[in-house]
Amino acid sequence: MTTAPGVAATDARGGPPARRPTDGRRRVFWALLLPSVAVLVAFLVVPLVMIAALSLRPDLRGPLLAPFAPTLDHYVELAATPVYLRLLAISAGIAAIVAALATLLAFPLAYYLALRAGRRAPMLIILLLVPFWTSYLLRVMAWKLMLGEQGAINSLLLSSGVIDAPLSALLYNRLAVTITLAYVWIPFAALPMLAALQRLDPLLLDAAADLYATPARRFWRITLPIAMPGVVGAFFLVFIPTVGEYVTPLMVGGTGGTMYGNIVQDFFTKAANWPFGSMLSVVMLVATIAVALLAVRAADVRRFVDP
Amino acid sequence: MVRATRPGRRPLAAISVVIMVLVAACGGIGASPPPAEQTGELTVLDWAGYDDPAYWQDFKDTYPQVDVGFEFGTSDGDIYAKMAAGDQADVFHPYTGWIQFYVDEGIAAEIDTTKLTNWDKVPDSFKKMGEFGGKQYCVPYDWGFTSILYNTEQVTTPIDSWSALMDPAYDDHISMWDDGPGAVTVSSYIHGYDETAITDEQLATIQEEWTEQAKLNKAYWAGEPDLVSMFQSGDAWVAYAWQGAYATLLGEGVPVAYADPKEGRNSWVGVYCIRKDSPNMDLALAFLDQKLGEQAGTNLVNNFYYGHANQDVMSAITDPTLREAFSIDDPSVLEKTNFTPNLTAEQRDAWTAMWNEVKASQ
Repeated sequence: MTTAPGVAATDARGGPPARRPTDGRRRVFWALLLPSVAVLVAFLVVPLVMIAALSLRPDLRGPLLAPFAPTLDHYVELAATPVYLRLLAISAGIAAIVAALATLLAFPLAYYLALRAGRRAPMLIILLLVPFWTSYLLRVMAWKLMLGEQGAINSLLLSSGVIDAPLSALLYNRLAVTITLAYVWIPFAALPMLAALQRLDPLLLDAAADLYATPARRFWRITLPIAMPGVVGAFFLVFIPTVGEYVTPLMVGGTGGTMYGNIVQDFFTKAANWPFGSMLSVVMLVATIAVALLAVRAADVRRFVDP
Repeated sequence: MVRATRPGRRPLAAISVVIMVLVAACGGIGASPPPAEQTGELTVLDWAGYDDPAYWQDFKDTYPQVDVGFEFGTSDGDIYAKMAAGDQADVFHPYTGWIQFYVDEGIAAEIDTTKLTNWDKVPDSFKKMGEFGGKQYCVPYDWGFTSILYNTEQVTTPIDSWSALMDPAYDDHISMWDDGPGAVTVSSYIHGYDETAITDEQLATIQEEWTEQAKLNKAYWAGEPDLVSMFQSGDAWVAYAWQGAYATLLGEGVPVAYADPKEGRNSWVGVYCIRKDSPNMDLALAFLDQKLGEQAGTNLVNNFYYGHANQDVMSAITDPTLREAFSIDDPSVLEKTNFTPNLTAEQRDAWTAMWNEVKASQ
């Protein structure tokens, strides 16, 4: 399939040999890159290495930076305690559902903004981002007001006579966590798909229509493939942080809505057992990366990204 | 002392230098300026809410120029882990159960109680909470009860046992505190276990018991406001609760009662300790002393409905709701109270892991 970006790419590749950047330009490039690399190393790589090291520490007794004899005890204990791995699988399942829901619901939003909103698009995009100006906790609390036994949904159903007693199944369970998280992520999920759809040349759709392609066929053969990198991006943008989510389940999850992230948090903050919490984090990190890699390979994203 | 080292041309200045040097040589106290002129910084690792000057008003009034900064912990485990990791706070605020670690790991400094002006107003039973091996390491500040809080409209038979937290009659309307050691405490009361010597078999029984309980439990509460809002919204009828929640709900007209379980209530005490290597030892000591002051105590009682370690503050309470909440008129409640014993590091790791397994198995 030859698309507009593909044409642009061949132009660049087929042209005269690219000028080699002079040493000066190269130096500027590295100088500009240095701050972000330094920040990432200091605040991402080093902490990750520390977490990995901490996961091998027997316990938190003694000074934090004192040398210790590394042990795999915590990993062995994890293997012997199936509840944690089971919860990790459940959390990944919730994250997949949330990511699918948010991506699905955000797609029409991105489509409208990219192809139909016209001159109003910039303003609408700002409106889309308005929720981020209020606290995340406030938005989750609002769902508590919606779903509670004396909340908006129950009040409406009770007053309209649909139900006789308030539904208690709306709040404090995994369903409430899923609904709330999907809601929270929709504006986020729209952004990568919006970026992808903005590359869609409307002339392609016109050309397809001239060749008697039905609207559905135009969508499947043109719009969706072009949007696909954005769709996959949106899915993982939501999926990856949601696997380790802990705030939302804490607020609306109740007893049965606990996620893996809550257990990790508890080992750090309630149990003062950083080594075990670190081990759980490392396992989650590795599992999430593995799932993402497998999924990206299965979906063969490069097919869409690199035409 | 900066002033004293300035070269003085007049004889008077020279004499004053001599006097100040002499005074300084006689003892540390004479060397420091009066409290109102002292400057410096003090960092307190505390629970959110205690940063309000209302709870250290006496210190603020006495040392108006000292800059007091606050860091926050979300639980005892959090505060302990931060201090163990080398947090540089001068003063920190743990509760019964978690105090001994700071002494064992050499984090808390020994306190010279002769420098505390309010020390003789603290009952011995509270002083003991911060005393290890005959030495005072921490100063008690706030205390309260733990018992079963229930909605008297929904629960018509008065609750008289901790086992109410596991009673299927209250299915989906129970709220337990999100805390492993707290769960072990409740089970110990119910079964008559020795809380300081829980065996592996007993811990397994406890885990099983709470895994079953989780099916009846609406939500675990982490902070007192969570618990209060669950009673206000009608989501919870029966809960493990501190008496702050009881007093708050009483004040708001929610029909609640606070049980006197036959196994006895639980009681906890919060203490303030000083980090061993704190460079602001004198200021930190003054902060602890002023924490025992009347304003810091009265505000604590009136705003948080917690008890204060200064006995003068407690006997001055006139509000009948508060007298009721602290059972001031019924001394037999205090006699039946069980104080939370200090955890060992092994118990901490085993009990918190047990609780996380309970939560993860839902």
